[in-house]
Amino acid sequence: MSRRTVELEVGGSREMGVDGSPVLSPIAPFDVPEPEIDTEHMLINIGPQHPATHGVLRLVCELDGETVKKVTPHIGYLHSSFEKLGEYRTWNQIVPLTDRMDYLAPLIYNCAYVMSVEKLMGIEVTERCKVARVICMELDRIFGHLLWLGTTAIDVGAFTPFLYAFQERERIYTLHESLTGARITTSATRVGGMMADLPEGWTDGVRDFANTFPDTLAEIDLLLTNNQIHIGRTQGIGAIGADDAINYGFTGPNLRASGIDYDVRKDQPYYDYETYDFEVPVGQYGDCYDRYLCRMEEMRQSVLLLHQALDRLPDGPMDVQDPSITLPSKTDCMSDMESMIHHFKLITDGIPAPEGDCYYPIEASKGELGMYLVAEEGGTKPVRWRIRPPSFVNLSVIAKLAEGHLVSDLIMINASLDIVLGEIDR
Amino acid sequence: MGLRKMLPGGGTPATTGGIFGDGSPTFLTSKLDFIVNWGRRNSLWPMPFGTACCAIEMMASAASNYDLARFGMERMSFSPRQADVLICAGRVPYKLAPVLRRIWDQMPQPKWCISMGACASSGGVFDVYSMVQGIDTIVPVDVYIPGCPPRPEGLIYGLMMIQEKIRQESLTKHYEHRAEDPRLVAQPRANAVEVAGLTGPFGNSTQQDQLSSGEAVTEDAESEDLIP
Amino acid sequence: MTPDGKKTALDAVDEGPRPSEAPSASPAGSSGDHPAEHASVSALVERFGDAVLRHSVAAGDQHVVWIDASRNLEILGWLKDDPEHRYDMMSDVTAVDYGGGQTLEVVYQMFSLTHKRALRIRCELPLDALEIDSVVGLWNVANWLEREVYDMFGVTFRGHPDLRRILMPHDYAEGHPLRKDFPLRGRFSRAEQTRRALDQSIEHSYLPEEIALGREPQEVAPVVGTLDSDEGDEVS
Repeated sequence: MSRRTVELEVGGSREMGVDGSPVLSPIAPFDVPEPEIDTEHMLINIGPQHPATHGVLRLVCELDGETVKKVTPHIGYLHSSFEKLGEYRTWNQIVPLTDRMDYLAPLIYNCAYVMSVEKLMGIEVTERCKVARVICMELDRIFGHLLWLGTTAIDVGAFTPFLYAFQERERIYTLHESLTGARITTSATRVGGMMADLPEGWTDGVRDFANTFPDTLAEIDLLLTNNQIHIGRTQGIGAIGADDAINYGFTGPNLRASGIDYDVRKDQPYYDYETYDFEVPVGQYGDCYDRYLCRMEEMRQSVLLLHQALDRLPDGPMDVQDPSITLPSKTDCMSDMESMIHHFKLITDGIPAPEGDCYYPIEASKGELGMYLVAEEGGTKPVRWRIRPPSFVNLSVIAKLAEGHLVSDLIMINASLDIVLGEIDR
Repeated sequence: MGLRKMLPGGGTPATTGGIFGDGSPTFLTSKLDFIVNWGRRNSLWPMPFGTACCAIEMMASAASNYDLARFGMERMSFSPRQADVLICAGRVPYKLAPVLRRIWDQMPQPKWCISMGACASSGGVFDVYSMVQGIDTIVPVDVYIPGCPPRPEGLIYGLMMIQEKIRQESLTKHYEHRAEDPRLVAQPRANAVEVAGLTGPFGNSTQQDQLSSGEAVTEDAESEDLIP
Repeated sequence: MTPDGKKTALDAVDEGPRPSEAPSASPAGSSGDHPAEHASVSALVERFGDAVLRHSVAAGDQHVVWIDASRNLEILGWLKDDPEHRYDMMSDVTAVDYGGGQTLEVVYQMFSLTHKRALRIRCELPLDALEIDSVVGLWNVANWLEREVYDMFGVTFRGHPDLRRILMPHDYAEGHPLRKDFPLRGRFSRAEQTRRALDQSIEHSYLPEEIALGREPQEVAPVVGTLDSDEGDEVS
């Protein structure tokens, strides 16, 4: 090839073509004459150890100069066989495993898993537990999005939002720690309830966070949203049309950025989400900038949800009052023999499940997270534990998104997909 | 030289050795050690080999609240060629093992290795077919930091232990400290017997081996399947 | 049991959890229809007759249909394209190995964005013939999902454009990990696993077509003029 056509695009001219895919409208195309050189495509390997891949991801790129002709993601560098391990653990023993998959939003995974077990067993949790889990999930949605925000900003070259985001994350770490004792690997839920009731003053801490977080978000917003460099790096990059997005399995903010209004909280609602007052941001062009805007707005909506959930948190027991599921209180355990035997049996044997299978999708911060459990009659361990990982499916599209873009855009697209390798490789 | 040999008893190695002594510290080397070690330990450039949850705690350590910059470690070197200490943060599956080994081999001396977290130290929760049961079967480790994940204070404590280790190093024991057999590049650090010892299942791992149907423990491969 | 016959907590533990009587308000994954009915299930039975092997309702209100594995492409294609059903979103493709010589089942979890309905389709495969048609032509999301099922279970998907291992190394020799006859710690000893992991060349980690790139040195066609008169003096 001897000539290159360079298309320039200055922000603002994003049109949608007839098939729903965005069209880059060139402002001033001009030909750059080049000498006649036979060139070969170049093979570049990015990762698995790389600061910008957000984990141990390997991208093998075929490049024509700086332009990506083809990119093949290779995964499996963090495969920890959670699904196999789950087959050897009782229902409650699996909860600590769930934190380690999406370590950016562990409470969401904790909740998703026990919600699926409870549906399989036909257990209805208490009202207090439902609202507490909604608080946990929305808090961790913000938690996960903050890390995405910090690391994506670093990929664009902006270091400050990373520090601001991590400072806010430290506040959520403190909340995690007061709730469960651990910062990241929370293991907060149990089948039928939570590991413990909310500590005193915890809701005040969450309220305080929800009151002050929007200011920090506004500061980060000021740094990035109308920043011409950020816009230039993200608008028009990695765009995908609506039909393609559905067909390729996108879910979560990635799908909503392409204009599809699908949020599991609204379309397959759980835990009374249909009674909460919140909006789901939907984008238009399906490029990196729209994904950014969707996630920023989602964080603000999560704050609204937090306020509402905190307002409606009822008193009452946190765990379901069924002795075959819930452990007796520690005081009872230590004072009477029957409770101690009860505790012992529940821990060592586990909870027997009915036969059947259950697929329970929820809206995680990355997309639709579904836990599929298969149990046999009286089984205390799952026969099959399958996690439908949103990032796994989102990442598979990167080959299509990045074709024709530059290498630096590839990094930006990878960042905008918001992937976490622990969940992809499981 | 000759004068020293006339000392009663022929002199000790410290007094009869050359400028760096016969493997024992002399006045000159101890002063040089002090300066060199001070420089090395206060400007360690970590190579963050972060894979999973521990990597997030490592990032939190580098952020404002815990701030590794006060140790001189804010310059996270993502190129191993310019790094001093490899912090392996997170679980390492066998697919990633050659990458870890290659990164370690690419780091120039002097280098140290921190195994951060339970998974890097011993396989952690994951005693499964795909997980390396401790990176010390692959690379030589200086400091192990337990925790799942260790708090940033834990990582900082581990880094301070490395600093202490460096403080106690000596130029005269150069070969002891920097011993690495070039023939072992890209090879596992531990031989088969050591690996078997380091990676055998222990504790709860030996009892949580039953499937739901209560089938007998799926035995690990018998000796004829195992290639020793 | 207490001496007077009252049930104690320990008896409850032995019996197992009581499913709660009150169903939750809008359980996730439900069809939205009355639990006993699902529009797609009745339509499937009507249209495909004996290819629909059985139907059940799991976990209270999730409809599961077993179909003949040899007709999966036809049935799933119809479910996707028919405007009454329009399952445009394939949420998940996975497999379940029950172990003990029983069949292995490939599970498709689908969701319709237009009708807001979910449906689960299962196809049984005999252990000695783990082959089924790939649905990548219908939903591109199945590309990686089927690769993972191949990697973990050994099911071959006919017509898949790129069926190779995805999570395990491409030359993984111990088998298919999620099968029930695969031991938790793998078939080789740890020392052997370590040795195999490290005993690799760089090229080992690339696909053949990737290695083929950049093999040939770059040839630059010289831009020199040819001498008009003298052919013998042509500079090449």
